[in-house]
Amino acid sequence: MAALIERLRGNSAETGSGPAFNPAYFMQDFIGAGLGAYVWLAFIGLLALLYFVGQLSAAPLSTIIVFVVWLVALLWMVRSEVVKNHSTVTQWLQNNLFSNLANAFLTLLLVLFIIAMIRGFINYAFINASFSLDPDVNNEVTNFGQDGARWGPVRANFTNMLVFRLKDELHRVWSLLAMIVVLLVPSLIYMRDDRYRNSWPRRILSWSWLFSPFMALFFMRGFGEEGQPFQWLGLIMAVGLAMLGIAFGFLSDNVLEKRGEARAVQLARSVLSLARVVLIPIAIIWVIANFSGSGPFYAVDVDQRWGGLVLTMVLSIVAIVASFPLGVLLALGRRSEIQGVPWWIVYPVFLALTIFYIRESPAAAANARTTLGAIVAWWPIILPLIAFAIHRGFKGNMVAAMSTVYIEAVRGVPLITLLFASTILFNLFLPQGLELTDVWLVASAFTLFSAAYLAENVRGGLQAIPRGQFEAADSLGLNNFDKYRLIILPQALRIVIPAIVGQFIGLFKDTSLVTLVGLFDLLDVTNKISSQPDWLTIRTEPYIVILIIYFVIASAMAWYSRRLERQLAVGQR
Amino acid sequence: MAATSPPVPKPERPNPLVRVLRLVFDVRVLGVLGQILAVVLVVLFFRWVATNTAANIDQLGESQFICRDGSSSFRCALDFLQSDAQFDIGEGPLDYDPSKSYWTAMAQGALNTLKVVAIGVVLTTILGTLAGIARLSNNWLVSTLARTYVDFFRNTPLIVQLFFIFFTVFAFLLPKLDEAIPLFGLPIYLSNRGINYPTLTLMSTAGIWFAFIVLGLIQGQVLWMYLRRQEDTTGRSFAKWPRVILSFLVVSIIGYAVARSWTSTHGIMSSVALRIRDFDDIDPLVRQRFGVNFTDEITGLIDNRLTLEEAVDAGRIRVGGERVTQEMLDDGTITYEQAAERYMSLEGLSSFDYLTEEQVDANALQVCTVRESKASLNFTARLDSIGIPYVLDAESRADRVTENYISGECEIFVGNLSMLAAERQVVELARASDGTIPTASAHNIVAITEPPVVTSIPRLQGLNFVGGGRLTTFFAAMLIGLVLNTGANVAEIVRAGIQAVSKGQTEAARALGLNEGQRLRLVILPQSLQVIIPPLISQYLNLAKNSTLGIAIGYSEFWLVSQTIINQSGRAIQVMVLIMAAFLSLSITISVFLNWYNSKVVIKER
Repeated sequence: MAALIERLRGNSAETGSGPAFNPAYFMQDFIGAGLGAYVWLAFIGLLALLYFVGQLSAAPLSTIIVFVVWLVALLWMVRSEVVKNHSTVTQWLQNNLFSNLANAFLTLLLVLFIIAMIRGFINYAFINASFSLDPDVNNEVTNFGQDGARWGPVRANFTNMLVFRLKDELHRVWSLLAMIVVLLVPSLIYMRDDRYRNSWPRRILSWSWLFSPFMALFFMRGFGEEGQPFQWLGLIMAVGLAMLGIAFGFLSDNVLEKRGEARAVQLARSVLSLARVVLIPIAIIWVIANFSGSGPFYAVDVDQRWGGLVLTMVLSIVAIVASFPLGVLLALGRRSEIQGVPWWIVYPVFLALTIFYIRESPAAAANARTTLGAIVAWWPIILPLIAFAIHRGFKGNMVAAMSTVYIEAVRGVPLITLLFASTILFNLFLPQGLELTDVWLVASAFTLFSAAYLAENVRGGLQAIPRGQFEAADSLGLNNFDKYRLIILPQALRIVIPAIVGQFIGLFKDTSLVTLVGLFDLLDVTNKISSQPDWLTIRTEPYIVILIIYFVIASAMAWYSRRLERQLAVGQR
Repeated sequence: MAATSPPVPKPERPNPLVRVLRLVFDVRVLGVLGQILAVVLVVLFFRWVATNTAANIDQLGESQFICRDGSSSFRCALDFLQSDAQFDIGEGPLDYDPSKSYWTAMAQGALNTLKVVAIGVVLTTILGTLAGIARLSNNWLVSTLARTYVDFFRNTPLIVQLFFIFFTVFAFLLPKLDEAIPLFGLPIYLSNRGINYPTLTLMSTAGIWFAFIVLGLIQGQVLWMYLRRQEDTTGRSFAKWPRVILSFLVVSIIGYAVARSWTSTHGIMSSVALRIRDFDDIDPLVRQRFGVNFTDEITGLIDNRLTLEEAVDAGRIRVGGERVTQEMLDDGTITYEQAAERYMSLEGLSSFDYLTEEQVDANALQVCTVRESKASLNFTARLDSIGIPYVLDAESRADRVTENYISGECEIFVGNLSMLAAERQVVELARASDGTIPTASAHNIVAITEPPVVTSIPRLQGLNFVGGGRLTTFFAAMLIGLVLNTGANVAEIVRAGIQAVSKGQTEAARALGLNEGQRLRLVILPQSLQVIIPPLISQYLNLAKNSTLGIAIGYSEFWLVSQTIINQSGRAIQVMVLIMAAFLSLSITISVFLNWYNSKVVIKER
């Protein structure tokens, strides 16, 4: 204590230890200098004081405890500073909570505020809340969510929110989850370690993963029509198909490989391989479909049956999986540098088209009822402009032009207009008699939308690859396909993992928009709770629950992306 | 002897067929052919889609493309926009009603979208910047709170946030309209019916004031330059900002005074019998009517009545053992005197004066005017400031107001001086032709001075607010949701932008002896801004696109209106094309601007 007082007097020489303590410097650092600092200090101090007094009457005990702890911590920190002997804790306190007096007041204010918030939430969510499933009890306990939460509606509807109408056929969901677990657990061992490259468990796993979407579809939807009878002919054809596939596979694996790698042989091998990959799953699906007409996995109408979190997840996963390759292709297309169509083809063709269409324009303009209609009648005038844009902007490169137009057009419109377009218009675009169900239309809209954004992310990654990598790949004599597959894309994708995952998180959140086009996703099922006779107008608590669900899933994705980024960055130098 | 070089072998010309084949199978030629094929395929695909669509529409049995002459043509697809909309739109700046065309409806929606986007962009920028800076605060609690905010809003869907704000916060958590409390002590009232806020209205003299303000700005600039030169020549440092601001304030205050005393365009007309020759004559007139010495007493007496009614509502007043209710007071079972007597004995008061509603209405100034005219706004604002009670009788047209005035429904006619002069003739002529006893023999017109700006502050009158402006719950929920959500993204952009400036820059600035403000203004901001602005603008674009979610909570923006049009007219394709064209042109404009900005701002590295 004596040493402390000595140092406070500025007599550091007598106490000896540590660097000199200068009270004037300390005060200037701690209180600040200048008019702005004083005003800020006075403002924060006053605010903290007022709030402290307010809280003192609301919750005396916790406020006093907080104040005492705050004061002790502050004094301890100051003491350590004076004797220049910081422990880890005081150093942290100084850096993060008490770096100056205004900050110290701010800390007090915020701690009190946070404690008040937490207390309020606990009171609302637990102490004053009702967990009863009986509507009358719920409504007696609380009044419009102001006094306490009514968790009854959430408890009563939680299964609905997760699986909606599949709750009578939970075996579908359990089968799907079981399949995922069965595939995931060995994958965690065999897929992560390079030791198992080319080992047979890994091959089987790869094939299973490739085939898993079909199985998932089978579990959740079932194949074929509802109540379809068993057909011998179908079974025979399916078996034939499977045998053909196996034979193709045998040919490509064992016969052709031995004959060297001539170009034609290579091509034939790929075709046969592909035939196997396509034929065998088709055969298996056919067999399953044949047996499942009235079994536990009979076919259902997905628009009606799928709902809740299941639909949200289905839409997200389908769109993520399908949009990834499409996005990469679009990015490559936008950056392609192939020889463009020369100007002496572009201009004449477009001019000819312009003349061809413009011949009808005067009549159309005369027939139009509005000024806009009359202007629109002269639309062919933009054709030469398009030709000019193609030639100047893209050097006649149609691949780049079309990719760019697609990407920019999709990115320019709100997602919700695409969703409405998909449900209202897509069926109009298809030939008569062919109608897709809303779930698949919406999923395709999500895919098309996500692909455009993804393409921009991937393009960012491609731009970041130094030119030397391309040249190195060229000098190795790799063809274009292998160059991108082995050299460019692995590096480019690694760079943009955070952006891509961010895009996927956005996609996952955006699936909630399908509520507006009449599908029963998690949000829609939640909205429906408030129209159940027992739980009329109750919205607050269900919304809180789904906010938490969305938050947890999205945070998990973000966390995984950060982890993946760290893992993949290991090899980066 | 010169060394003879070996003869160069003449390249052998391949035969023509091989040359053609080589040309055709050249990679570049194949590429071009492939592209042409791709384009042809795409065109064919669109033709296929168009054919299908035409067939499908035909089968629906309704013709989408009816022309003026009754024929059906693709080019008349947009003609339906001329017909009546026949649906109502909740709010908007345009004068719209269901008899207007689809075009007007769409314009109304588009303007609503622009409104929420314009205000949203400003608020988002403020919130995002604050949160982004808070994220980097050296106070751990502040940065953690900011991160919690950002994480929460980035990891949950916007539409759920909107639903939560609209159905929970606005429906249940906010007070009812008549219990609304002022926000931060300002006259801004947040209630479950929306937000009531004060408005500023520019009067005709505002131009004079603005001229002075511009003069003040120019003068401030000149002063600044002069002081700078003085600093350079004398080597002394002046406090420039305070002097410049002071000079600016002096000029603009003088301007305000000049504008206020400028010849007014507003006035009131009243009967000569009332003897109003100046605005100040109104006050004694009203005092005399109410029989009080000071105008403030009137307000006090009205407040006394309200206190009495509160006591009645609370059930504290009993007459003859029976509890008095408001209904009993209204239908006269119990008179106000009886209730007041009971109240006096209850509270132990020796005297209790009050004014009933009828008394106030009978003695208050009867003012008639054209609805929402600037003259009435100015006049009533001045009456309010003194505390004179008045009854406002607003009509939509001047001739109706004149009729009311002639029939004696009101005693003061507020309007433009020129309009009043014209109406005075009408009033006096009406008396002559009518032949009945005139309400007054002659009428005075008195000019009322007008300040350049009149504030209209919302006041609770009965169960509603009068004065000021109001934002609907739809708009307010939409705005709050968009701002909170986009603000979280902007916070991340701002944080990344500030962090992108390397630590060395800060250290270098410190080494140069720049203070905190200079460091931020001269070193950090210019460098971080060029990182921040491109993603920031795409966030603004996102905000504009997300405003289409107004359809979820019923805010009448562009998309909601378009959706209604689709439902009503069945013209899905045309409306969709219009919407997409509108949004595309918006985003293309912005991305062209962005590219230009990027090329302009990127620091040329050496």
